[in-house]
Amino acid sequence: MSIGLAKYWKLVVSALVIGMGGHAAAAPAVPGQELVRTYCSGCHRENSGSFERISAIRKTPEGWVMTLFRMRQVHGLVLEDAVHDSIVRYLADTQGLAPSESAAGRFALERRPNAQDMDLGPEISVMCGRCHSIARAALQRRDEEEWRKLAHTHVGQWTSIEYSASGRDRPWWQIASGPLPAKLAALYPLSTTAWTDWKALPARDLTGNWVVSGHMPGGKDFFGKARIDREEGGGYKAAYQLTDVTDFEFAGESKALVYTGYEWRGSAQVRDRSWREVYALSEDGNRLSGRWFDSEHAEEGGEWTAIREGGAAEVLALFPQSLRAGSTTLVTMVGNGLASTRGAPASFGDTAKVTVVQNEANRVRVLVKLAANATPGMRKVSTGGATGKVAVYTQIDQIDVVPAYAIARLGGGKAAPVAAQFEAMASTRLPNGELLPLGPMTADWTSIPFDAEAKRTEDFKYAGHFDARGRFLPSAAGPNPAREFSGDNVGNLTVVARATDGSRSVEGRGHLVVTVQRWITPPIY
Amino acid sequence: MELVRSLGSWAMGAAMAISATLALPLNASGAARAATPAADLLITGAKPDQLFIIDAATRSIRTEYHLAGANGQIFTIVTSPDQRIAYLLVDKMERILGIELATGREVFRADLSAPDERVKDFFALTVTPDGKELIAYELPTRLKPSEYIVEEPRFAVFRTDAGLAAKPVRSYPAPRRIHMLLMRPNGSTFYALGFDLYEYDVKTGKLLDTRGIQKWALADHSQPDLLAFWPVTEPTGVFTSPVYSELKKDDKGVPMTALMSLNLKSGELAYADFEPLSALIFSTVLSPDRSHAYGVYTTLTSVDMAGHRLEKRVPLDHTFYAVNVSTDGREIYVGGTNCDVGFYDAKTLAKNAILKLPGCSDQTLSTLRVIHDH
Ligand code: HEC
Ligand code: HEC
Repeated sequence: MSIGLAKYWKLVVSALVIGMGGHAAAAPAVPGQELVRTYCSGCHRENSGSFERISAIRKTPEGWVMTLFRMRQVHGLVLEDAVHDSIVRYLADTQGLAPSESAAGRFALERRPNAQDMDLGPEISVMCGRCHSIARAALQRRDEEEWRKLAHTHVGQWTSIEYSASGRDRPWWQIASGPLPAKLAALYPLSTTAWTDWKALPARDLTGNWVVSGHMPGGKDFFGKARIDREEGGGYKAAYQLTDVTDFEFAGESKALVYTGYEWRGSAQVRDRSWREVYALSEDGNRLSGRWFDSEHAEEGGEWTAIREGGAAEVLALFPQSLRAGSTTLVTMVGNGLASTRGAPASFGDTAKVTVVQNEANRVRVLVKLAANATPGMRKVSTGGATGKVAVYTQIDQIDVVPAYAIARLGGGKAAPVAAQFEAMASTRLPNGELLPLGPMTADWTSIPFDAEAKRTEDFKYAGHFDARGRFLPSAAGPNPAREFSGDNVGNLTVVARATDGSRSVEGRGHLVVTVQRWITPPIY
Repeated sequence: MELVRSLGSWAMGAAMAISATLALPLNASGAARAATPAADLLITGAKPDQLFIIDAATRSIRTEYHLAGANGQIFTIVTSPDQRIAYLLVDKMERILGIELATGREVFRADLSAPDERVKDFFALTVTPDGKELIAYELPTRLKPSEYIVEEPRFAVFRTDAGLAAKPVRSYPAPRRIHMLLMRPNGSTFYALGFDLYEYDVKTGKLLDTRGIQKWALADHSQPDLLAFWPVTEPTGVFTSPVYSELKKDDKGVPMTALMSLNLKSGELAYADFEPLSALIFSTVLSPDRSHAYGVYTTLTSVDMAGHRLEKRVPLDHTFYAVNVSTDGREIYVGGTNCDVGFYDAKTLAKNAILKLPGCSDQTLSTLRVIHDH
């Protein structure tokens, strides 16, 4: 386990989830402002109810946790965990980001591996995006003066910032403290109508039954139900009844807090695994979506969407996403108002013969027999009051390895290895030349040298191996005497996914860099 | 007194015994050299508090000091002109120690930071030729109760006889992003390396000259990149460093490695490409006859100075940051990381010996210096 995951993340979890031991429930019932006054005002002077610096910034729950981590670690703030959690809740609730403000940076909160960072142009990319994601900045709101103070913090705390690569090629400090703060304040200002409007909305109650659909990259997608109830201390507990696409049933439960009225942070136990849940509640309060991931390996995880049971008719998900002409396939649809009736039968369009196997409001299963001459293309599907879409194809024409570029990290010492999960995304070429996406396919995964240098240094021998799910499992770190310069087991590899389509095989390629350990894994990378 | 173990104590014998087994002469020339010792002593530091004096001829540890004031790491090492005292930048770059090399006694200490002002010196340190003054580069940050305020950098001049609570006798404004100070032999001016090469008056702090690093005038080259940590000018009085830039060729940039050399006495500054970048070089040193420069990183490189060309390159066992050269020019010393110091033949670049430091702690970014055995 890395330092980050062991220590840092534990703090985040304890702060963001009441699950383990119910911190928040045990927290003193002191108003948040009183806690800030007691614990922070020694350094952050109070001026008629507002506290220097603290009151001038808005952040996500993770952002507040990171700041408090520094207050404890660097500035010697002593804070019992329960108080810490209460302060994070108070600050995230009263000085958070509106859903529209956090939308662009959610990938960072969700800890999506190999996510494309935000693009704010070349200057900010190099100035602010070379050590951490741009999202870390984009998930905060400050006025110009506070953005400038952050530049002071950076140079005051990390001397080498002006000397390291991509810092020393420019007057880093002069830019960071000069023109940049105004630009950041224009992009991410403290006062916004988005925030004042959001704060004015009443809090949503999530209690009730929900319909769930989940995607597990390289694994088995699943669907089912969630029952959400209130917990003491202001949090929620959820019970999950799930089924994967092979009909395997499993259960799970979660404890969660909802920050800022929409930021669900859960700690779940599902099939012997502990998950973290980073979900956002939609503005209407009827959809909860985001990413879940393994508590120790954030790169292992997938999508999650839940909609309130009994809501407007909707196909939330349909498995599988594509059907081959001439085949018979068992299709599962989950959502609301799905039950097939005489008046609103399950239909997969022309040349599709549909036999209903299971028929419930929230789940319909049908056998779909497609004629061999079924027209390739996206077609409308309907059942009950809901409609959905499915792709029809006659052959797979292209496999794209997704992500096209990924990083895996060697494990060793206190750092756990970071695997890279790939998916083989298929598409078919329609008669008009357009590519129609068919969704993920199973594939055989191998790696070959990326270039002549990687071939010479035989990276593929040392860097790690693929499992059947398209997951690259990197080797252990450390000088390897078998390698040139006793090098680490790093590698520069081309990823090859080969999918079989009848008697044909279609190949896609991606790029994988296997690099050294990452010691610190902060809540917002 | 800060040292834990010192010369002449039992530790000395123990260190010798260990080093005798750890120094591995790899070939006949290595063994032969021991018979005709050069009078070079190497100085290096290692985490968290170790200062080593190494007898180059016998590849053995002569002395190992534990410096209570080091607090984690020894960065830059510069010696007094008479080579009796080593000045060390330590303690997260916030403290300078003066250590008498013969005894390990701490004779100088300057704590750069104060309770409300944190001051870091980014590697840059130099001593006047008369040994009386030491100049440090200070990057101050005012520590307010709830915020940091970055302040303007300055050069701070200390008297070396100021003892263990030295305070600057003068200080004057400095540019940002300086990473090296180099005293000129005339004693009245010094160089500071940063965005450019600046020359300052020791007494008044007046900026006398600014010459190109970023402003260098090689035709068709992109902005050059130079970052050097160690003011190694022995044995020639010439400082050298690799410089990276791109040569513009038919709309494309070809990455090139150049060597920069600065003669401290004459002030002559020269740059020349010597190869299209094919291996990174972290630092270099110039041979006594000035015919070659030797560079290290994952490889050991020799550069033909007159022909501006790469002469020879061999792989090293692992990454090395620091390099120096024997006073007679026959051997190259490598260090600056891990716990070994390597001895290489200057002509063939063959490995003569590797000395493992006792305790095997990391030399992380410590300067590797050569002084003479008195
Ligand atoms: C011992 C003094 C001390 C205490 C107590 C303290 N802080 Fe701080 N705080 C600082 C200093 C110093 C800085 C500026 C340097 C930095 O950002 O790390 C700072 C900066 C901050 C910032 C601005 C960081 C940014 O995003 O740029 C916030 C917000 C903050 N503190 C919140 C708090 C909260 C909330 C508490 C109480 C739970 C607290 N601090 C307690 C010393 C303190
Ligand atoms: C040299 C690397 C580096 C660069 C360049 C850099 N940062 Fe940071 N940044 C850090 C580190 C390290 C932290 C501290 C994380 C922590 O507190 O654990 C940080 C923290 C932050 C935080 C969170 C602070 C808090 O308390 O909430 C924000 C926001 C931020 N940086 C924005 C920026 C912006 C804006 C820029 C460009 C002007 C920038 N960073 C450039 C290294 C860097």
